[in-house]
Amino acid sequence: MSRHVSKIGDPSPLKRLDEPQISKKIRLEIEVDENMSDNSPDRNRRANFSNVNGVNRNLNIHSVKPTTKKLIIKNFKSEPKLPDDYNETTWKKLSSAVIAIQQSKPNEYLLEELYQAVGNMCSHKMASELYKNLFELIDAHVRSNIEKFKTETMDRLLFLKKMNDTWQSHCNQMIMIRGIFLCLDRTYVLQNPNISSIWDMGLDLFRKYFMLHTLVQTRVVEGLLMLIEQERQGDKVDRILLKSLLRMLTDLQIYNKAFEQKFLQSTERLYAAEGQRLMQELEVPEFLAHVDKRIHEENERVLHYLDSSTKYQLIHTVEKQLLSEHINNILQKGLDNLLEENRLHDLSLLYQLFSRVKNGLQELCHAFNAFIKKQGRTIVIDPEKDKTMVQELLDFKDAMDNIVASCFKKNEMFSNSLKEAFEHFINQRTNKPAELIAKFVDSKLRAGNKEATEEELERLLDKIMVLFRFIHGKDVFEAFYKKDLAKRLLVGKSASVDAEKSMLSKLKQECGGGFTSKLEGMFKDMELSKDINVAFKQHLNINTPELMPLDMTVNILTMGYWPTYLPMDVTLPAQMVKFQDIFKEFYLSKHNGRKLQWQPTLGHCVLKARFKAGQKELVVSLFQTLVILLFNESDEHGFEYIKAATNIEDGELRRTLQSLACGKARVLNKIPKGREIEDNDKFKFNNDFVNKLFRIKINQIQMKETTEEQKATEERVFQDRQYQIDAAIVRIMKMRKTLSHNLLISELLGQLKFPVKPSDLKKRIESLIDRDYMERDKDNSNQYNYVA
Amino acid sequence: MSASIADENENTERLDDASKNEKMFTLKKWNAVAMWSWDVECDTCAICRVQVMDACLRCQAESKKDSYGKQDCVVVWGECNHSFHYCCMSLWVKQNNRCPLCQQEWSIQRMGK
Ligand SMILES: [Zn+2]
Ligand SMILES: [Zn+2]
Ligand SMILES: [Zn+2]
Repeated sequence: MSRHVSKIGDPSPLKRLDEPQISKKIRLEIEVDENMSDNSPDRNRRANFSNVNGVNRNLNIHSVKPTTKKLIIKNFKSEPKLPDDYNETTWKKLSSAVIAIQQSKPNEYLLEELYQAVGNMCSHKMASELYKNLFELIDAHVRSNIEKFKTETMDRLLFLKKMNDTWQSHCNQMIMIRGIFLCLDRTYVLQNPNISSIWDMGLDLFRKYFMLHTLVQTRVVEGLLMLIEQERQGDKVDRILLKSLLRMLTDLQIYNKAFEQKFLQSTERLYAAEGQRLMQELEVPEFLAHVDKRIHEENERVLHYLDSSTKYQLIHTVEKQLLSEHINNILQKGLDNLLEENRLHDLSLLYQLFSRVKNGLQELCHAFNAFIKKQGRTIVIDPEKDKTMVQELLDFKDAMDNIVASCFKKNEMFSNSLKEAFEHFINQRTNKPAELIAKFVDSKLRAGNKEATEEELERLLDKIMVLFRFIHGKDVFEAFYKKDLAKRLLVGKSASVDAEKSMLSKLKQECGGGFTSKLEGMFKDMELSKDINVAFKQHLNINTPELMPLDMTVNILTMGYWPTYLPMDVTLPAQMVKFQDIFKEFYLSKHNGRKLQWQPTLGHCVLKARFKAGQKELVVSLFQTLVILLFNESDEHGFEYIKAATNIEDGELRRTLQSLACGKARVLNKIPKGREIEDNDKFKFNNDFVNKLFRIKINQIQMKETTEEQKATEERVFQDRQYQIDAAIVRIMKMRKTLSHNLLISELLGQLKFPVKPSDLKKRIESLIDRDYMERDKDNSNQYNYVA
Repeated sequence: MSASIADENENTERLDDASKNEKMFTLKKWNAVAMWSWDVECDTCAICRVQVMDACLRCQAESKKDSYGKQDCVVVWGECNHSFHYCCMSLWVKQNNRCPLCQQEWSIQRMGK
């Protein structure tokens, strides 16, 4: 228990003690016990100079220095003998002084004289009687003061004001009276634990009559509640009056019993009704703004007049009635709209308010998660929207990320939930999102996509990787990505080698080297091909200088790295066959044990063409080349002839003829005219061909990727998965040497980049045991050992 | 010219055409594409049952970290013309110096390069 000394003497009511006729300044110090517990017997001795003229009641206590100087009253001579009627005459003086104070009249005696008189009485054993007399005087005064209110039937506000005046003057009077009778407090009260200090005696009496007349008490409390309710309805009220009267209740120690409980009840009633009503009437954002305003107002109330001990319960009551009770309603009625419309301000407020109540954030997070799953599913599931799926996913992810970052305070629970929701919905449609993400990347990496700078492209690829991370069938992505990459590499259509490499390293980082080794192999093939072509050119110059000049280059692809293409045999002109054979012989001489398969669908050429209007260069596919070269023999050929001469597959040939005779640059004329190629159509060299360009690219008409082709790609993915599982099992077993079945399965599930059933894994394990890669432990059939 | 006129000597005709210099179209540049694979009878290595174009199972398991796929896991042909991953076969012959497919004594005919 900390003790410290409180100085009195400065506040104006005691000023007269320091008047000039006092020859020696009297410094009064009194010991005050600050932290007395309620059941302490010394409790009543606590000096309580509360609320004088609304001044901060801690004023005195604050200026205290923690010295432990005891009471020292100087200038006391040896005890003089007192006259016999001293008691009687002195009390007469003292009582008239007290009554003058109580009636706010001037005092006819010097305060110093009165003070000394009290001192004398105390030192001559008259303290007890003096205390008793003073008590009766104060009792009578307080009683009559409070009884006045019993009969008063005045206006409530006036009533409160009068009560406040009465209280204020009671406090002022008690301070002055106490100043005079200080000696009583210092000696008599200190020596008798059961006697209250003069200040407390005043409070006790005030409380006694205030409590005795319940009507008065009720009128005060109801008046206070009325004022507060008026304020809650938006009126301006006298906050100073409220504050003063509430302080009175606190000082009388009836704040809690007489006021706080009723106040909290009425608060609860008010906000319960208001919550119900406004939930119906208002849109969620307005409702939230209202709740925020209410919480702010109630905090202000605590700041301005309520006792600070009420704060927790008050705010809790408001939160409960306006928020806790409506969590589900608010979320159901408003969250989806706020998220859809990206109302960041309202979402921030929602988060901030919900963080105040129990389970608020959990519920918000739950609803946020459900929204993402629902909304995300609509992006992913509808084949009609496939064209825009990836862009929409990116936008959706950006929007949700932004909300978590700027409204939900980067709360990890929310960012994890966001990820979980994306992973959930994106895999609701198997394979398609993976395929479309791969195609989206292709569209960004392909030449001609010049709208983005390197940095923008890099940032976009990073965002795509985030989507990619959610995909369960990563190998499906790889299969489609590979098809597009092959096209970019072989047609030289890649926008930037740096971007390609960057994407590759991102994939590698995400899925490991095994995932990208074949893609990297494709790049390697392109580099090796360059070297081979240089060597081939030298070889031609040395060995067959007599051959017609033809700039032939060959891209040699490693089977397995690249997508598989349908083999197609076509009839080449003799010159091309010759070159092809020379190359093949050259290549196989360098590479033992290999065989080459030509891929005519992937070849392309540059032709020189002579038209009436002049020379042109045509950039064309191999198939287009084969068709065009036929027109060196004759100006006109029928469809059937072309088909027999080139041996190009029927559908492929029709598309080729379409591109040459029905497209933008028509080097052939179709007879009769029309878009579709019929069996009886004839084609004629278009000598009148004109084009402002010298070098003209004639686009091959792309066959739409058929569903069968997509199925085939998926099929290949499934086959590859078997090898990948096998390799992963061997890899793990080689490292661990021996492992239980369950641990092996869980390591596998962690490593494999595609969804897989444990039963499939079991089959692969059996197959590896058959092939002597591993064996079942002889003593424990649930354990495997690696076989080196 | 109708389809019936096309004769078997078409190729030689076209070659002849190319030698004259009045053609409307001349091939200037040709970028061909070819796919290489091991010249084997059976695509799959009978020892590890992985395609010979892919690295053998042990090499795949090992070299997940390095970049280029083939890892020198080449193919080897025996005198019997059967072919396997070189890695697989070199482990196999330590136990049994016969071809796993035809049981002939194993001797290397050639190595892939
Ligand atoms: Zn093998
Ligand atoms: Zn190997
Ligand atoms: Zn054999």
